[in-house]
Amino acid sequence: MKIAIIGGGPGGYVAAIRGAQLNAEVTLIEKEHIGGTCLNKGCIPTKVLLHAAGEFENVNKSLKDYGIMVTGAELDWDKLQKRKTIIVRKLVAGVDNLLKNNKITKIMGEGSFIDKNTIMVKADDGTQTIVDFDYAVIATGSKPVIIPIPGVNLPGVITSDEALSLDKIPSSMVIIGGGVIGAEFAAVYGTLGCKVTIIEMLPNIVANMDQDIVAPLKDRFKKKGIEIYTNTKVVSISESEEGLRVNTVSDDGEKSFAAEKVLLSIGRKPVTDNLALENIRVETNRGAVVVNKNMQTNIPNIYAIGDAIAGIMLAHVASAEGIVAVESIMNKKPSIDFKTIPYCVYTKPELAGVGLTEEQAIQKGYGVKTGVFPMQINGKAMIEAEQEGLVKYVTDGATGEVLGLHIAGPGATELIAEGALAVRLEATIDEITSTIHAHPTVAESLHEAAHAVHNNAIHIPK
Amino acid sequence: MAEFVLMPKMGLTMTEGLLTNWRKQEGDTVNKGDVLFDVETDKLTNEVEAKSSGVLRKILVSEETVKILVPVAVIGTADEDISELLKQAGGKAEEAVPEIKEEPKAEAVPAATKEGDRIKISPRAKKTAKDLNVDYSLVTGTGPAGAITEDDIKQFAEKPKTKISPTASVVAEQLNVDTDEIHKDTRIMKEDVVKYKLDENLAKYADPQEYRKPMSTMRKVIAKRMLESVQTSPSVSFNIKVDTTAMKQLRDDLKDNIKVSYTDILVKIVSMVLLNYPLLNSTVDGNEIITRNYVNMGVAVAVPAGLLVPVVKFSNAKGLKDISKEIKDLGERARTNRLTQDELTGGTFTVSNLGMFGIESFTPIINQPEVAILGVNAIIQEPVAVNGELVIKPMMNLSLTADHRVVDGAVAAEFMSKLKEYMEKPGLLLL
Repeated sequence: MKIAIIGGGPGGYVAAIRGAQLNAEVTLIEKEHIGGTCLNKGCIPTKVLLHAAGEFENVNKSLKDYGIMVTGAELDWDKLQKRKTIIVRKLVAGVDNLLKNNKITKIMGEGSFIDKNTIMVKADDGTQTIVDFDYAVIATGSKPVIIPIPGVNLPGVITSDEALSLDKIPSSMVIIGGGVIGAEFAAVYGTLGCKVTIIEMLPNIVANMDQDIVAPLKDRFKKKGIEIYTNTKVVSISESEEGLRVNTVSDDGEKSFAAEKVLLSIGRKPVTDNLALENIRVETNRGAVVVNKNMQTNIPNIYAIGDAIAGIMLAHVASAEGIVAVESIMNKKPSIDFKTIPYCVYTKPELAGVGLTEEQAIQKGYGVKTGVFPMQINGKAMIEAEQEGLVKYVTDGATGEVLGLHIAGPGATELIAEGALAVRLEATIDEITSTIHAHPTVAESLHEAAHAVHNNAIHIPK
Repeated sequence: MAEFVLMPKMGLTMTEGLLTNWRKQEGDTVNKGDVLFDVETDKLTNEVEAKSSGVLRKILVSEETVKILVPVAVIGTADEDISELLKQAGGKAEEAVPEIKEEPKAEAVPAATKEGDRIKISPRAKKTAKDLNVDYSLVTGTGPAGAITEDDIKQFAEKPKTKISPTASVVAEQLNVDTDEIHKDTRIMKEDVVKYKLDENLAKYADPQEYRKPMSTMRKVIAKRMLESVQTSPSVSFNIKVDTTAMKQLRDDLKDNIKVSYTDILVKIVSMVLLNYPLLNSTVDGNEIITRNYVNMGVAVAVPAGLLVPVVKFSNAKGLKDISKEIKDLGERARTNRLTQDELTGGTFTVSNLGMFGIESFTPIINQPEVAILGVNAIIQEPVAVNGELVIKPMMNLSLTADHRVVDGAVAAEFMSKLKEYMEKPGLLLL
């Protein structure tokens, strides 16, 4: 069974390795870097910067409370950039090794479909390779959306791609789009001395998550001097003495913000233009490849996954979809439960959510019961000097079913796994309360939040 | 540990299945997932896979219909002692029957044993329950007055517990669903329980009933005759549309004298044309074809809950007035069941008119031992091209069925063509 995969990001390379595990003959085609956006221009580099920003903040704030007296700490941006590059390279090399280890044929170049069993790959040096396949998986990912407003092409207007490798920390930055990516960059630059302003069109930043956990983040941003303007639409970008000026309009009227750099983080759109999909008549919808629940397109031997299908644009979802696609191709019944997708924001406090938000659960008609535990009273959070945040379990009052878990606090992105598993196993809140959680941990705040659903939390005063 | 292979339950309403086509023999190695045999019900045929690996030690049922959940084979290691299981199988084969009959009661029994302060259970069964760590409040009793017996406890302990998610368990309790009834290989989730309840409710709401009634004698006769006819005559259908303007005119011309129906006119015309196409008026007898110089025209009459075909004898020799009167009389007496045997036999051709119901075409079944039958359909005002112009005409479709042993296509077609000619130009009959 010959499987050709176009795109070597978290969707493509995971699909390739799974295919090899199932004894398929796999060819992986990648036009730029193995690891895709995630390893090279997304997940990994952003988390390196966020980690550095977090450590820098600790050095300057909380270490002295522990008697660790540090003065004159500086951030060497160049060194940080180098460190980021080293980590990215190591991880890319790691994936490369995995590909070799699994005997996957890797071809560097841009792939496009000649017919429904043939791909032509054009390398940078002009060489062309023909790849025959029985099945193909499109995993070509996405790129940042550029809003078509006046001034968007001015120098200094950047996307996440450039924001990761600026040559210095800008003095000021306006971030257009207060979603996950915008919030994370605000956290990085806002911690490192840059004056950050977030402009968001919706009534809330990080609008896709439960707003009760976004509240502590908003408070932290406020304390850092990061300004947030919601319900505000950007009309144009113009030049100014500081460099750029972002002109906005809201119910409060017109406002304009000056900044050295303007970051566009309003979303990402699929990259499918150069695949010659017309040659194989694969159906797309506004650039996104259309697939069924097995990731199969309208052409039976062509599959598509990840950002290219514009579903939930997260690396772990792309990986899961990659596995579903390849398992479907190899006639194994895939069993991934997409209700368990965790959403994570690596700011401080970290945010993480899985399942339904409280609002979504109410809208679906559940008689919702929630249990909330404030991070302030958790011992471990106090020891780690990260006390802002809360844990909220959302349950169905009628049956006790765990509908969602939402956490703001230290290690939220790690702790969310408990909620994902609960949703997967259709656990009721009783299963959480009857499971012993270690002490002292931040995780026991999940236990207490579960108890709080029935007003039984031990550590919350009545 | 050796286990039984059971006749699976492959649907909510399945009570038994026909086991066929064993793929393995006694002594063969079986891997989990291997196809063992087929099961047929009146709804579907499925392959049944082995749920465990081992050696197929004994086939208890090779090719017969058995009730669901009856043991049909034993899979175990090559040399372990399976005599206990075989003994059980001997008993279980009969037990499976009462299990089905008791299913409707099963819901009531645990409720009875739970609601009361005392659960009816024998002291011996209680001890067994303690030893085997069984919560006997969950066990269905099959003893006297629903009491729990030692065997009930033992069987419950052996039963593999169906995997079920915690939420599904809660929902099942709230919806009063017996999760043992949900047959799923993987963990039962909330949606499985909900779907089961919806199916159950739908069945209750639809309240499906079947009614059985013995056939009346007339119905038995019709059924027998129709089946025999279709099995005897290789039939071909022919359709032709006739302009009924002339026939209508004929009716109008005669109406002061006598009111004739289209059927009456048709009987007269068909009888005359048949004399020129004797094959359509014949009977097959072995290797001989009997043709006639007369026509006995059967006229199909719908009667309450059935059909009768009284015969107008020698319709070729009768005038239209007599034919009309006779058909009226026969029809009336047919509907009131006052026809003589003689009036129902001897037909050589049949006419069947469904036009009054708006039927445009149908394929009537030949009335044996005749070889053809003419179906008459509704008169419909239709646009017709006449000399390149669109005209609305009262068109009637004639549907002939003819037995191809005797009547070839061209013969039938010519007959129909002639019939049409005479119907559209009845003056020709005066020649």
